[in-house]
Amino acid sequence: MKMLAAAFALALAAASAFAQETGYAVRQTEVKKEPFTDARTVGTLEERAQLKVLSRQGGWVQVESGALSGWVRMLSIRTNSGQASVVSGLKSLFNVARSGSSGTTVTTGVRGLDKEQIQNAKPNPEELRKLAALAVTKPDAERWAAGSPPLKNQAVEYLPAPSGAQR
Amino acid sequence: MRFAGLIAGLALSVFSAGALAQIKLDFNRLIDTAKNLREATKEIDEQQEAEIGREYAAVLVGAAPLVADDELQRYVNRVGRWLSLHSERPDLNWQFGVIDSDNVNAFATPGGYVLMTKGLLARLKNEAELAGVLAHEIAHVVRKHHLTAMRKGKGLEAGANILSEYLAQRGGSAVAKERLVGGMKEVMLRGLDKDDEFEADRMGVVIAARAGYDPFGLPAVLQMLQSLNPKDSALALMFATHPDPNSRLDTLEHAMGARLDRFGSQPQAAERYASFVRGR
Repeated sequence: MKMLAAAFALALAAASAFAQETGYAVRQTEVKKEPFTDARTVGTLEERAQLKVLSRQGGWVQVESGALSGWVRMLSIRTNSGQASVVSGLKSLFNVARSGSSGTTVTTGVRGLDKEQIQNAKPNPEELRKLAALAVTKPDAERWAAGSPPLKNQAVEYLPAPSGAQR
Repeated sequence: MRFAGLIAGLALSVFSAGALAQIKLDFNRLIDTAKNLREATKEIDEQQEAEIGREYAAVLVGAAPLVADDELQRYVNRVGRWLSLHSERPDLNWQFGVIDSDNVNAFATPGGYVLMTKGLLARLKNEAELAGVLAHEIAHVVRKHHLTAMRKGKGLEAGANILSEYLAQRGGSAVAKERLVGGMKEVMLRGLDKDDEFEADRMGVVIAARAGYDPFGLPAVLQMLQSLNPKDSALALMFATHPDPNSRLDTLEHAMGARLDRFGSQPQAAERYASFVRGR
C-alpha cells in the first residue's frame, strides 16, 4: 500500500517532468518572447549558458536562464542528464502497475535485452501469434485517429538528404 | 535482353574467378555461389520479405516477450497503424508490440513488424514522441534497410547465400532457417548502415507530420537519449547499433531547417499518452 502511494507521488512528479529538466545552449541563441521566428527577441543566451526547460511547443522550447525567460529553438539546446529520478519513478510506476494488473505482488525485476540475450534467443511462435492477434485494421486506425485529439492528414514531402550524404 | 544476360554472365564469371581460388576448384559450390548471389540480389517479393520478417520478429519476442497488457498493445498498434498509412507501404501486414524489457530500444523487421521496449516507452513524454519512434522504424521497413544489411552480412557472399538458401527452400530446411536466424542476429547486434539510420530519422519526422502529429517528437526523443548516461547498461545495445544521438540531432536539424515548423502546432497528445502508459 505504501509502495502504491509512493508510485502515485512519482506519477505526479512525472506529470511535471519538464519542470525538472535542465540543459545548456549549444550555441549563442536568441531568446524570443513567443515560439515564432519573427517574435520579439528578449535577450541572448551565450554558448553553454545553463537553463531550465519548462515546456516544448513544436520546434521551440520555453526556457529560463537567470532573469531571462522565453522561447529558443529546440535544437539549439541540449538537456542535461540527471532526470534519473523521473525516469526511475516512471519505471517503478510501470512495474507496479504491471504486477498489480496481473494480480501478483512481486514487482518486476530488471529485464535486459542485451547482446547475450539476443545471441541466445530462440524463436517464440506463441508470442508471435499474440503479436498478430493484437494488430489493428486500417479502418480501425482511421476511426481511432478521428478521436480526441483528432489527427489530420497532411501532404508533406520527404526532406532532401543534406549534401555530402549518400542519399 | 540476350546482351544483358551476357553481361551478367561476364560479371558472374569475374566473380567466379575470385571465388575459384578460394574454394579450390570445387565446381559445384562455385556454381551454387554464383546462382545464390544472383538470386539474392534480385528483388525479394513481398511475401518472402514478410516470411523473413516473421522469423526475425520471432527471435525478438523470443529474447523478450510481449508486455501482457492488451489495452496498451492495442494503443501502440493504433498509433503505429495510423502512421503506416502515411508511408509508401500502407498495405503491409503491420504489427506493433511493446516487449517486456527495461532496456531502451526499438526494432523493425522486414514486412512490417515493429517492436519497442517497455523501457523506452516509459521514458517518452507524449504520443508525438511515440509517433516519432514508430515512424523511424516504419521508415526502415519502407526502405528495406534490414534486407540490405543482411546481404552485407559476413561479406556479400555469405549474406547472399543465407537469404537465397532460405528462400529456395521456402523455410523448409531447419539448417537454412538456423542460418537465417544467425544472419538476423548478426544484424541486430551490428546495427544498420549509419546513413540508413539518418535516412529513417529524416523520413520519420515527415511521416509523423503527415499523420497529423507534432513532428518534433522524434528530435525530442533524441534529445532525451543524449541526456542519458551512455554507460547505463540499459542503453548499451542501442548505443552500439546507432550513431550517437548528438550526431543524429545535428544531421536531422540540418535536414529539417525550418521546413516542418508549420506543423509544430499539431497535437503532442500528452494526455492520451499518459492515460494509456503512465496512468496504468
